[in-house]
Amino acid sequence: MIQVTINGEPKQLQKNTTISEMLTQLDYQNEWLGVAINTTFISKTAHDQTIIKEGDHIDILSPIQGG
Amino acid sequence: MKTLSWKIGGETLHSRLFIGSALYPSPAIMEQAIIASKAEVVTVSLRRQGTEQGAGEHFWEIIRSLGLKVLPNTAGCHTAKEAIAIAKMAREVFGTHWIKLEVIGDQYNLQPDPYETVEATKVLVKEGFEVFPYTTDDLVVAKKLVDAGCQILMPWGAPIGSGKGLINPYNLQAIRQAFPNIPLIIDAGIGKPSHAIAAMELGYDGILLNSAVALAQEPVMMAEAFAGAVEAGRLGYEAGAMQEREFASPSTPTVGVPFWHQNP
Repeated sequence: MIQVTINGEPKQLQKNTTISEMLTQLDYQNEWLGVAINTTFISKTAHDQTIIKEGDHIDILSPIQGG
Repeated sequence: MKTLSWKIGGETLHSRLFIGSALYPSPAIMEQAIIASKAEVVTVSLRRQGTEQGAGEHFWEIIRSLGLKVLPNTAGCHTAKEAIAIAKMAREVFGTHWIKLEVIGDQYNLQPDPYETVEATKVLVKEGFEVFPYTTDDLVVAKKLVDAGCQILMPWGAPIGSGKGLINPYNLQAIRQAFPNIPLIIDAGIGKPSHAIAAMELGYDGILLNSAVALAQEPVMMAEAFAGAVEAGRLGYEAGAMQEREFASPSTPTVGVPFWHQNP
């Protein structure tokens, strides 16, 4: 297992988990999602290949009201 | 009223009012107010979201159903790095290369950080974004943003959410004169329709506001008021105002005045 932070909360994931696998495991079904790891954007096309590493800070964002 | 089309960021628009989607008393009032404003561009944002279907998803469904152009912001960012990441996420999520670049430098008055904003602009312009930079009324910062590749400027009228109107019309006029061909939008600080008219009469191309409508006693009515104000201000600017004079001058012809010299 590896220790990561997802949207500010500490979480544990299996080693070699990809972003796509993480989103499925955490039951993110919303298609309107943007993902960043350690403040770097990861495009949807890279979600299947990007492996999450120990200590990564992951942000999963979706649309909200804004001014 | 006559509606004049204009171009910004590669799009032709008819309304010169950009409206925010936050702070409304309810999603239904937000929807009605956006419609009443006649705005064709609505600002949105991105935030951390849990897995459960929440208010954010319902909000986004409403905005999509309105079929308007969205302008995502980078609100909440304090560094160029954060703003660049959010801009790229917004491009993917919202399917637009437009970004309202907002990098805050001070928590008290939400003043933008000019150094980080310019830094982020350089990167985002290279990456193909149309950057709508939220900036102060500082002419030199405006110049640096244009040098960095901005083709649009969005100086504040006053700090975000203050509703104070145009606190430095002199500086705003200087920016207008310095950049006659750059679309200029007043972003932030507008509180009343008269503020919007004043900005449009300075020759500004548009107004972006949120709190002034969302926090009004009657947001839908206020949205309609701003639609009229922005249009009236623009028409007034294009019509060309008369020269102000230091003396009175009768507007009614003085020839043939009855009871001449009979008035006390």
